[in-house]
Amino acid sequence: YCDILCVWLLGELVVACYRQLSSCVGGSSDSVRLRGELRQTRERAQQLALTGRQLLTARLRDKALPREERLEMELLWVAFSSSLEIFHADMCKVCSLGQNFPLSSRTSALVQTGVQGGMAEVTARALSLPELNRDEPAASVERLEQGDLEVETTRVDQMIEDMEQKVNVLRWTVEARGPRYAEPLSAGDGSSLALLSADAEDPGRPAPYLPVKSPGALGLFLVAILVPVELAVYVPIK
Amino acid sequence: MTIRTIHDHGQHYRPRMACLKKVEALVVEMQDPKSGLKFEEQKLVTTTVPHAIAGQDIHAWIVNRLKLDAEEAKAFGTMMVAYGYIYPLQDHKRLILKVDASLYRFQTPYFWPVQHWRAEDTDYAIYLAKRNIRKKGVLELYEQEHYNNLHKWMNHKWDFIVMQAKEQYRAGKERKKSDRVVLDCQERAYWVVHRPPPRTASAMDYGLDRLIDPNAEEVTGERPVIIFNSQAIMRPKVKSTVSLGALVKFSSTFKNHDPFLAPCLPSNPWLTDDITYWELNLPRVEVPTKMRVERWTFNFMELLNDPCGRADFRLFLKKEFSGENLAFWEACEDLKWGSAEAMKEKAEHIYKMFLAPGAPRWVNIDGKTMDITVKGLVHPHRYVLDAAQTHIFMLMKKDTFGRYMKSPVFKDAQKKALSPQPHTFTDAQLEQNARNRKPGIHPIILHQQEEEEKAKLAASGPVDIKQIMSKLDRRTDLKK
Repeated sequence: YCDILCVWLLGELVVACYRQLSSCVGGSSDSVRLRGELRQTRERAQQLALTGRQLLTARLRDKALPREERLEMELLWVAFSSSLEIFHADMCKVCSLGQNFPLSSRTSALVQTGVQGGMAEVTARALSLPELNRDEPAASVERLEQGDLEVETTRVDQMIEDMEQKVNVLRWTVEARGPRYAEPLSAGDGSSLALLSADAEDPGRPAPYLPVKSPGALGLFLVAILVPVELAVYVPIK
Repeated sequence: MTIRTIHDHGQHYRPRMACLKKVEALVVEMQDPKSGLKFEEQKLVTTTVPHAIAGQDIHAWIVNRLKLDAEEAKAFGTMMVAYGYIYPLQDHKRLILKVDASLYRFQTPYFWPVQHWRAEDTDYAIYLAKRNIRKKGVLELYEQEHYNNLHKWMNHKWDFIVMQAKEQYRAGKERKKSDRVVLDCQERAYWVVHRPPPRTASAMDYGLDRLIDPNAEEVTGERPVIIFNSQAIMRPKVKSTVSLGALVKFSSTFKNHDPFLAPCLPSNPWLTDDITYWELNLPRVEVPTKMRVERWTFNFMELLNDPCGRADFRLFLKKEFSGENLAFWEACEDLKWGSAEAMKEKAEHIYKMFLAPGAPRWVNIDGKTMDITVKGLVHPHRYVLDAAQTHIFMLMKKDTFGRYMKSPVFKDAQKKALSPQPHTFTDAQLEQNARNRKPGIHPIILHQQEEEEKAKLAASGPVDIKQIMSKLDRRTDLKK
């Protein structure tokens, strides 16, 4: 269970970074480097998507799954497929924007949007690296990327369809367990973290069902998981 | 390439929006370092952000490039702002081009409006959750309402939305301060266009979704053309002068009664969130409004379709002792719209009550129609009494309706009709109204009230000439 959760959280991170990157395409900070960074982030996201899909599908097709775990898995499934969908949407957008704003042609101007800085830090965050290596990718990367992007987008589309066909998760039976409003991670959560970090070390155990007072079993468990992940340690996925 | 959402064959396509590509070409032209716009810097408290443009510069560029006069150029600029290609930096909710030194900036192509992709609710939910984090729980009222609704509809995805919002917020933190400001402005501008604040309209509002995909290849060949032409031949034709004349007459009669075209009294509930208008215009209200009574004079059908009007007309007919016509018409309507099981009994009942020779509430139909009706009643169906009903309807319309308009019953109704005062709400009161919105009366309850009315009417028993005559006969007999 822990491994699927890690994959999903990392996936969310990468998808969020990909969205940040794709909002720069065609704007004043667009460059060959940005397209290269987009490519790297996309590849990482696809890698995580494949792993996550294999794990989740295997888990959910197992008929002997206890009810409590099945509910958790279905929740994760809905979240995972939703993030795949918005990743697919972003890929489509980047593909069409890349066609409208080709960097190789000399005539097209980029829209002066006011964005100046590079996205190296965001990409580094996406790839779980402390820092991105700064060598400039070749201009031919851009043409390659455009061609690949269409193929990869259809591949992700196919993946989503396959997932829906293999496992039937009824959306109306899934109830969210997390908090209604998103709170950023604050230092004050220390006590509950200490309580749950003990559970986090034990990967095989299913999530503990916490009493009603706490915001939600999944929510606090996520908070506990984020602490080790945020230390930019590449979690080995089996 | 589609962003997959639904896969059936219903109305899911957005209509053509050919103007978008044309405006995009102009926006790209504006970027040209030689012939394009001159950029300024926007000075904020902690940072400066480049690439801001003054409204008057945009206006001057449009006048120059498109050879328009000042008014048209302003309208054109406002269109560009309304679609979201340029967004204002101050007063971000009003998407107009101000021809002065107020600053604007170009929207990033990622947030440009596109014909074939809609602004998804999932993304809106993530945006609101992010905004909630940034503003520490203080969202505007309409944003709060949207958030609550989305939480109800997309509950199954809510963990994903919350997590994605947090991750996007954290990814944003990795960037430069000025870039963060720019991205916030961009996103906010995007959602002002696609989820307009209350009492504003979005330029991307296109009405309903369409059945045909405008991006699909057009079907060519001879077969569709043949089908199209054969259907065109089969269509009934009316001279356009006749149909247009009817349209003009209808529009000029009803234009003051349409809440879209003229302000309704006291106020339009959809605009001011005050439901007095609906309460005053319930199907069965004690005192109808003046506008409603005026509508009764337009047309006999208007009078009959309005429950209050029909009741008033029934009262008039009661005084004139000719209620059987209206009762027959109502019974025929009941037969037409009622359930199939009760049809046979209803038809027989109507015949015994209204059409048989010597019936208690005999209606005066001409011989030919009576023949057709009686023949049809051997095998009754829903529309067997249609001819008779039309005959009686025309009788009432030509004769009784005119007398009703001149009668004291109607004049009394006109006098009693009330004309409510128009509301004048301040902005604060409008916000208050929005907070205290109540749902109207449930349609099921309205339907039950209708049924009760009908039952009461049936129970009270008709007053008809035969009974009166028989009573009078008995009295004269007694006297003798």
